[in-house]
Amino acid sequence: MRLAYSYSCLVSTLVASLLFISCSKETDDAIDPNATNSVAIEFENRVGDQKLVLGTPAYKNAAGEPFALTKLNYFISNIALRKEDGTVQQFPNQYFLIRQTDSQSQLITLKDVPSGNYSDITFTIGVDSVKSLSPVAERVGVLDITSYGDDGMYWNWNSGYIFFKIEGTSTAIPTTANANQQFGIHVGGYGGGWNGSPKTVNNLRTVTLSMPTKATVRSNIAPTVHLLVDALKVFDGPNKISLAKTNSVHMPAAATPVADNYKTMFQVDHVHNDKQ
Amino acid sequence: MAGLRYWFMKNWIDLRATIRLTGLCLLVAGCQTTAPDAQPDEPFVKPANFPEPVYALDKNRPTTAGMLLGRALFYDGILSRDGTISCAECHNQTYAFTHHQHDVSHGIDNKVGTRNSMPLQNLAWETNFFWDGGVHDLDLVPIAPIENPVEMDETSTNVIQKLRKSPKYPPLFKAAFGTDEINGPRFLQALSQFMLTLVSGNSRYDKWVRKEPGGTLTDEEQAGLTAFRAKCSGCHAGELFTDNSFRNNGLFIQGSRDEGRAHVTELAQDRYKFKVPSLRNIEKTLPYMHDGRFYSLDAVLTHYADNVQPTDNLDPILQTGGSFGQSRPGIPLTSDEKRQIIAFLKTLTDDQFLRDPRFVEP
Ligand code: HEC
Ligand code: HEC
Repeated sequence: MRLAYSYSCLVSTLVASLLFISCSKETDDAIDPNATNSVAIEFENRVGDQKLVLGTPAYKNAAGEPFALTKLNYFISNIALRKEDGTVQQFPNQYFLIRQTDSQSQLITLKDVPSGNYSDITFTIGVDSVKSLSPVAERVGVLDITSYGDDGMYWNWNSGYIFFKIEGTSTAIPTTANANQQFGIHVGGYGGGWNGSPKTVNNLRTVTLSMPTKATVRSNIAPTVHLLVDALKVFDGPNKISLAKTNSVHMPAAATPVADNYKTMFQVDHVHNDKQ
Repeated sequence: MAGLRYWFMKNWIDLRATIRLTGLCLLVAGCQTTAPDAQPDEPFVKPANFPEPVYALDKNRPTTAGMLLGRALFYDGILSRDGTISCAECHNQTYAFTHHQHDVSHGIDNKVGTRNSMPLQNLAWETNFFWDGGVHDLDLVPIAPIENPVEMDETSTNVIQKLRKSPKYPPLFKAAFGTDEINGPRFLQALSQFMLTLVSGNSRYDKWVRKEPGGTLTDEEQAGLTAFRAKCSGCHAGELFTDNSFRNNGLFIQGSRDEGRAHVTELAQDRYKFKVPSLRNIEKTLPYMHDGRFYSLDAVLTHYADNVQPTDNLDPILQTGGSFGQSRPGIPLTSDEKRQIIAFLKTLTDDQFLRDPRFVEP
């Protein structure tokens, strides 16, 4: 009796869901205010118009300096998506660490995004001051300061996350500056101000990018926003940075021109709105 | 022997805690099934003459099991790359948990740093850590020495992995946190729980303030206290003997030319400012200053009386025409005053703290 009942339940659910699917297929553009889906964001790191491969000395900056990269890591947080009608959907308390050596980290997913047509994406490069000052128990996942291994994404002598880290080698670097011609550019600095401390340099940067095609979130569409991230902009942004001169950056004030540069390195290349 | 009896009398409360603690040790080690003592489990106790602590105790209140775990970690070389350097290497209880006889600290492979180790005491009352205040939360301190290439030269990620693999630690984490999961936040909180219990508030001076037995100060010491209040307490203020601020006390700029606070804030007005240190147990924490340049309290007082330099950001109190109407930078001190101040400073030695069995290497 029970079995028969649950069986019929199952059948009716199946029928209902079939009905539902065929229904929503027909009304592609209708936005169901109750439906949500996820949005994936893919960070494809490049150097100019070349694929970024760590260790390959195939790149050259505007100063004509050849270089190879050995590390590229950065935090992304405080993502927001803006609908075409201007309403903004925020994703607070979600932090992502994009690491060149870990392809999984380059695809991040926002869950429970309301249906709608999204035209812009905003995010912060780094970890905001609130989280930078939060108790250790709240620092989980990519914010766990003991989780970085050799990546070392935390300044332990000046409590704060390293928002952005790029390292490599260049034959343009004088061996007097670095015997192995290595460079290390670390950007952090959330603005200080704890326990009555003075305000210090703030290198948090927020970018807003418009999408060439809207991301159309539906019950059956989980868009993927594909970003191109051009590491060459770290040197060739609004500020021109020469590795011969600037090859060791480990303090917030010196890092500000770099932060202003990498703010320009993101662009939305395309959006996938494939049906599931 | 009489000394021992005196010690027992004075330390009955602490002794009870120790006995409880030892019971717990046995419990952890021997898996006994007897119910633990029903006494409140509060290894952190605020001395009556201290202000309220600033550490967020509600987020990480020390328990006996947490403190025991923290102590085990504090004394364990497993926190360093090659297993040779524990926190205690540079923070030795006998000297109020500082590195004795080293002006600047010696770490792994006998590498030397640029700063003098600091005593670890009354950390629950500190708002910023290190000579330059670079770390704003006690829980965030340990990764600095662990990951410093001249101190312990290890990644904290690897420390957590080593702890997970060791047979010793999972049961200790279980006792402290309820499950045997070992993770970064728990590791850091346990170390804090131990460090928070390092409270020094039973010096002869404290007993005098609290009018407790044994709390006597000689005339010389009382004269020293009066002189100290007039000449030093503008910075070394209150019962912790620091106002937790950063100031330039006019040392010659020498050696590594450490810019102190400016290293962290990158602000010109912070150059050569260092944390005003507490003076508790000062008799035991030599050498003195951020780079350990003075080997005696005499040398310190000679500095204040004769050698204060008008360097950038010299504290207004110490400038010509400052708090003492002085005709040149520094603090006018007679030789009597110097002697009396030193006599007073020695009353801040807390033998009970320096020998407390709860803090000894397990
Ligand atoms: C190689 C020596 C060395 C080792 C090992 C070491 N420390 Fe230190 N410690 C220092 C020095 C030097 C300072 C002052 C650093 C500065 O101001 O830059 C210090 C400062 C501190 C402070 C700040 C105290 C205050 O009042 O601001 C704390 C807390 C501390 N250490 C805890 C630890 C812990 C916990 C460990 C083990 C994980 C440890 N230390 C290992 C040398 C060491
Ligand atoms: C203007 C503020 C100020 C005044 C006044 C002052 N101090 Fe200091 N004191 C400091 C600072 C800042 C330091 C740490 C300086 C450094 O290491 O660079 C310090 C360090 C010390 C130290 C070394 C502590 C250690 O752990 O290494 C002693 C001892 C000391 N002071 C004693 C005194 C005495 C005694 C007086 C009064 C005669 C006095 N101070 C007056 C600011 C002050």
